[in-house]
Amino acid sequence: MKNKRFNLLLIVVVTLVSLWSLWPTWQDYSLSKEINSFGSAQDSLKYVLSHREEIDEARKKSLKLGLDLRGGMHLVMEVDQVDLFEQKAWNKDQKFIAIMQAVRANAARSDARIIDLLLAEFKRENIPLSRYFYDIRNSDQEIVSKLEKESVDALSRAKEIIRNRIDQYGVAEPVITTQGSRKIIIELPGVSDENRVRNLLKGTAKLEFRLLREPEVMVRTLDRINSFLVQNGVAPKAQSLPDSSSVASSLLPASETVAQSGNSAAPNPLYDVVGLSGNGTAYTLERTREYVLSLLRRSDIQALLPMDSELLLAAKPDIGKGGEKVYTIYLVKKGPELTGGVITEAKATFGSQGVQPEVLMSMNSEGTSKWARITGANIGKRLAIVLDGVVYSAPVVQSKIPNGNSVINGIESLEEAKDLEIVLKAGALPAPVRITEERSVGPSLGADYIRAGIQSLAWAFFAVSVFMLVYYKKAGIAADIALVLNILIVLSVLAGFNASLSLPGIAGIVLTIGMAVDANVLIYERIREELAEGKGVFTAVTQGYDRAFSSILDSHVTTLSAAFLLYTYGIGPIQGFAVTLMIGTSASLFTAIVVTREIFHLLLAKDLMSEKSFG
Amino acid sequence: MRIFQKTNFNFIKHRKIAYGFSIILLVAGIFSLAIKGLNYGIDFRGGSEVVIRFEKNADVGQIRSVLDAAGVSGTLKQYGMDRSFLFSTVFQGDTGQLKSLVTNALNERIKGNPHEIVRIDAVGPSIASDLKWSAIKALLASLLAILLYVGIRFEIKFATTGVIAIFHDILTVLGLFSILGGLFSFMPLEMDQSIIAAFLTIAGYSITDTVVVYDRIRERIRGQKPSEYERIFNESMNQTLSRTIITSGTVLLSVLVLFIFAGPAIRGFAFAVFAGILIGTYSSIFVAAPLVYDWLHLTKSSVRLRGSKSA
Repeated sequence: MKNKRFNLLLIVVVTLVSLWSLWPTWQDYSLSKEINSFGSAQDSLKYVLSHREEIDEARKKSLKLGLDLRGGMHLVMEVDQVDLFEQKAWNKDQKFIAIMQAVRANAARSDARIIDLLLAEFKRENIPLSRYFYDIRNSDQEIVSKLEKESVDALSRAKEIIRNRIDQYGVAEPVITTQGSRKIIIELPGVSDENRVRNLLKGTAKLEFRLLREPEVMVRTLDRINSFLVQNGVAPKAQSLPDSSSVASSLLPASETVAQSGNSAAPNPLYDVVGLSGNGTAYTLERTREYVLSLLRRSDIQALLPMDSELLLAAKPDIGKGGEKVYTIYLVKKGPELTGGVITEAKATFGSQGVQPEVLMSMNSEGTSKWARITGANIGKRLAIVLDGVVYSAPVVQSKIPNGNSVINGIESLEEAKDLEIVLKAGALPAPVRITEERSVGPSLGADYIRAGIQSLAWAFFAVSVFMLVYYKKAGIAADIALVLNILIVLSVLAGFNASLSLPGIAGIVLTIGMAVDANVLIYERIREELAEGKGVFTAVTQGYDRAFSSILDSHVTTLSAAFLLYTYGIGPIQGFAVTLMIGTSASLFTAIVVTREIFHLLLAKDLMSEKSFG
Repeated sequence: MRIFQKTNFNFIKHRKIAYGFSIILLVAGIFSLAIKGLNYGIDFRGGSEVVIRFEKNADVGQIRSVLDAAGVSGTLKQYGMDRSFLFSTVFQGDTGQLKSLVTNALNERIKGNPHEIVRIDAVGPSIASDLKWSAIKALLASLLAILLYVGIRFEIKFATTGVIAIFHDILTVLGLFSILGGLFSFMPLEMDQSIIAAFLTIAGYSITDTVVVYDRIRERIRGQKPSEYERIFNESMNQTLSRTIITSGTVLLSVLVLFIFAGPAIRGFAFAVFAGILIGTYSSIFVAAPLVYDWLHLTKSSVRLRGSKSA
């Protein structure tokens, strides 16, 4: 008797806890209904302001909807470990660069860990890792473990920086997690401007101040590349260019165009796509930009550049003579004079004329003194401001700057300036990241999903519960009550643990509805059997529960273990399904066995059950 | 109400017919898998997918030609929702670019019928291969877990045949996916993450029915002579027939609801689970238990079972 009372108490407590856990969800729902019911926006606002605490509290504790239901973005970003390891190496020579290229090529083909690929490649070349990494006395094993630690650090730093960027941008309830040694998973509910978010996230935000080479050096370099292309034939890609011959001439005012383009008989593969003005500035058109970039990436072209130099393109196009967009090409020193690590503050504003957006930056004390020295030593020279490999501006240094201030201009919109402010403040990522998976759902599809989900839930519940009533009569009522409690428990556990409900999650609940009554079916069939053997109702019920228990347990354990493995190995949406299935299956052990049994005991005590109650 | 009054089928005697049927199913499936293969979704092959919804009815051919003209190469199919199309193409790291390309082309060329891009998915090749591996690992691990659990709760012959039955079920559904893949526009039957979820659900559930039958055999076989096994197996299967079918029936009912109402994103999953549970119920009765019988019969051993209750 004592045991029975305990069960009853347990049922009451579970029910109350479930209801309590779901209460904020109900509150949130009715509050937002209330807000929308007002005729004017003013009334709604007034209501929101007067009930702010209540609304916030309810929203915080209510059942969250998953990305697919609310609309939003799910991103997986991968940290470029090859780049990270390259950064860690010192005295890099041709051999090293070749090895790293091989590693990069292998990494694209296989999904082995980068560190293993690196080790394998060095082993194949029979070079100890210590020639390039850390200390010469280190063994390969030590270096591998150091690099591994390095990449774990880099991943968590990258995650923090990305979190900073997202927080600054302002997304409600972002979820940012890491997976394995190089993946960052980002969930952004309710994001509408996907493009902006993507740009905000994918940039490394590596800021560098680099000296420009003299214009004459630049012209000589371009000449060298041109004649190299003449000798070696033009890359096949050039043929696909749209009427490239006119590029150079359309680029610039005729008076400024240098002799090369006048000499039209000789082929000038480079000057077909690159224009050169009298003062030694080189340009390319928007439509030839990709091609020029691909040329600049070629290692044989890079070998033609002066020592410690690099050709970079402008971040933003200028408007050329014919209204076409032109990108300036810069020859800059490879080693930066100063990097973005010294930046402490960034602020987006409008420039002195009040129309051009720009970002003001200030530096820490170390940066300030370096900056003063650099600017002082290079008066009259041009210093390029390079962010993630593109040149924002290359102003001439007018005078020594003692206060550690600098400015980025050449920005198109204030919005972009704001985004730059965010990434500069958050700091540079330790290595480049790239987006390897992206799933975004618009809010309208989300609303469709919600409707479909609710419909499925309602119909499944209706179909299954009616079936139980028809097939098992009075006993069916008990099973249906248990089913309601089961759904309640699943939802309340999700709400209580701050997990979110997604469409696969709803599918899990629907499936649970079908599976949860299974335990009752097993029990009832057993009870029918016992009744058929001529046992009394009380004995039949007791023995039915006892004897059906072992197969119920077995079947639940197998379903649970499959769901658990799905949760462990699954990613994203599938985990939502696994979670609801797990909760639902465990809950049904309780609801189908304890709850229905208790109902029968109550009914039996009141003499409300007979042989006919089981259909 | 009762669907099955006292039944008295001789399952064991006719088991060879069921074996034959299963073998035909499996061979057809394997044949199709070898020749036609499977339709992989972007989860497993990598790529980008855009779901475009129009305000009014639109013609597939027209949209296809507009996208072609805009230089976005890929395949366009009707999506299982009203006025919606699924455009799939190779993986694009920058989905923004893809989106604006599609939007601009459609806005320019299809006037008077505004569209909305309601979903974009892009899965890189490295993610796709990761997903494939975790799917295989999860499936193998679940089979192993079930083998161990049933092995401990019953004994190894029961566990092995139970796992063989699961294998049979999953392979049959896989075969169905291959045979029917791409035949229906409302249900492309592509292999993606959700199908793996379906397989694991099938694995976990298929053994449920099997265990119900096993449980009854275990209860009755204790202390019986091997010559009585045929009778006991048959009686046990008949006695549990009703509950085996009704438990599956309730799940089938809810999966059917999912198939009808939950929309195209869940349809493949619902189909897989539906087929899997149907096959799973069949295999519990016609494959798993008869195989145990054959095994016991051939090795002429008697069973020593764990965990049975003496009642």
